[in-house]
Amino acid sequence: MDRNEIHTRLLALLTGVAPDIDPASVDPARNLRDQFDFDSMDALHFAVAVSEAFGIEITETDAAALANLASAEQFVQRRLTGAQRA
Amino acid sequence: MDTEFVLPSLGADMEGATLTQWLKQPGDRVRRGEPLATVETTKGLIDIESYDDGQMLEHLVPPGTHVPVGRPLARLDVDPGAHAAPAPPGAPGIAPGALPPAPAASAPVAPAPGEGRSSRTRMSPAARRRAHELGVPLESLEHAAAGGIVHIAEVEKLAARAPAGDARTAMRATIGATMARSKREIPHYYLGHRVDFTPAREWVSRYNAERTVKDQLLEGVLIVKAVALAAARLEGFNGTFQDGQFHPSAAVHLGTAIAIRGGGLVAPALLDAHQKDLPTLMREFSALVARVRAGHLRSGEFSAATLTLTSLGTEGVDILYPIINPPQVAIVGAGEVRDHPWVENGQLTVRAVLTLTLAADHRVTDGRSGARFLRAVADLLAHPQSL
Repeated sequence: MDRNEIHTRLLALLTGVAPDIDPASVDPARNLRDQFDFDSMDALHFAVAVSEAFGIEITETDAAALANLASAEQFVQRRLTGAQRA
Repeated sequence: MDTEFVLPSLGADMEGATLTQWLKQPGDRVRRGEPLATVETTKGLIDIESYDDGQMLEHLVPPGTHVPVGRPLARLDVDPGAHAAPAPPGAPGIAPGALPPAPAASAPVAPAPGEGRSSRTRMSPAARRRAHELGVPLESLEHAAAGGIVHIAEVEKLAARAPAGDARTAMRATIGATMARSKREIPHYYLGHRVDFTPAREWVSRYNAERTVKDQLLEGVLIVKAVALAAARLEGFNGTFQDGQFHPSAAVHLGTAIAIRGGGLVAPALLDAHQKDLPTLMREFSALVARVRAGHLRSGEFSAATLTLTSLGTEGVDILYPIINPPQVAIVGAGEVRDHPWVENGQLTVRAVLTLTLAADHRVTDGRSGARFLRAVADLLAHPQSL
C-alpha cells in the first residue's frame, strides 16, 4: 500500500470518527486535538478505526503516533512494512 | 387499541421539532423502544422511540413539518396490555389530557407528492453539519439535490439565498434560556472536594496496558460509575423536581455533558449507569459520543437523565461550577486530573488530584448531605477495583 492510499484511507477514517469535519480542511501536520477539538474519546475512536481498517494492533504507547495525520501515515506505513518482513 | 403517538418533550427547553423522516410505515410492527421517526431539534437529529408494542396505523404529519411538543404525529394500534406502559423514568411525561388542543391546521395532511420513497435528503455528513450550522432547512435541500447527494457547496449556495436562521445561534439561545430558568428558579448550593485520583489512574493504566485500544477504558468512565453509585446510595440527588416536589428515581440515568465541535453541548443519558460494569459503560459512552458527533441521538437518552455529570477532562482547568439542568436537582463537575502537592500522614507527596464539584437544589438537600455525596464519590474512586 503506498503513501497516497494510506493517506486517503486515513482521511476517510477521520471523517468517519468526526463526520462534522470537512476532509478538505485537514492540515496533516497539525494535532487533531488543536485542529478539531479532539477529546480523549475522539482520539480513542480514531485509534480503534485505524487498528481495524489496517489490521494492525495498537496499544496505548502508540497513541502519540496518531496525534496528527502525517505521523499517523508514517506509523501505519511502518507497521505494514514491518508486518511484511516479519 | 387505537392511540396517538405524540411528539415528546426532550428537555425542559424544547418547544417543538421538525419531522425529518418516518422510520416506520403504516402497517409496520413496532416494538417498545424502537425508533419511529427522526426529528430535527436545536440539539441535532433525534430518533423518537415508541413507548409501546403495536402497529403503525397512519402518519398524521409529513416529513418537513415543524411540530410543537405534544402534537400527535401518528396513530398507533397498541397491543392489549401493552399500553399504559410507564414513560421512561424521569421523563417529563406529557399526560394525554394535558395536551393543548391541536389547532385546525394540524389536521392530517394529505401525503406529500413523492411520499413513500425515502424522504430523507441524501447528504454528506459534512454538508448536513454545515446545513445545521447555517440553519438551512433540510427540506429545501431536497430540491437542490435533484435526486443526487447534497454536498457542502449546495448547502452554502442555498444559505446565501436563504434568510439567516442560524442553528448554532438557536442552540446557544436554547442553552441560555434553560440555564437562565435554572438560575432563576433553583436555589443552588455549591460544594467542592479534592480527590486523590492516583489509585484510579494507576488502575486504569494497568488495565489498559494489557489491552489493545478497542478494549481500553477512559478514566472518565470510572468517574461516571462512582457518581452513579453514590447517587443510587444517597437520597436527594437523583431524580426530578416537578409540580412543587422532588420525585426520586430508583434508577440512575446519568446525563453526560458532551461538547459539540463548533459550539454548544448536549447531555444525553447513560441509562442505568449504577448497574453496569465498566466495560459496558465504556462501550455505551463511546457509542453516545459517536452519535453526538454524527448529530444523531435517541429520544430516550434525552428525556431520561436523572442527574448530570459534566467534565472538562482535557481542557486544563481544575474546577468548574456547573448549573443544574432542570428538572434535575443536582449536577456533578469534574475538572482535569493533574499532579498536585498532597499531604498524607504528615508527609508531603505528589498525587494525581481531581477536583469534584457539586451543584445541588436546596429545595431537596442541604450542604451536609451534599458533602456526604461528594465523600462517597471520593471513597468509591479510592477503590477502583470495586467499581
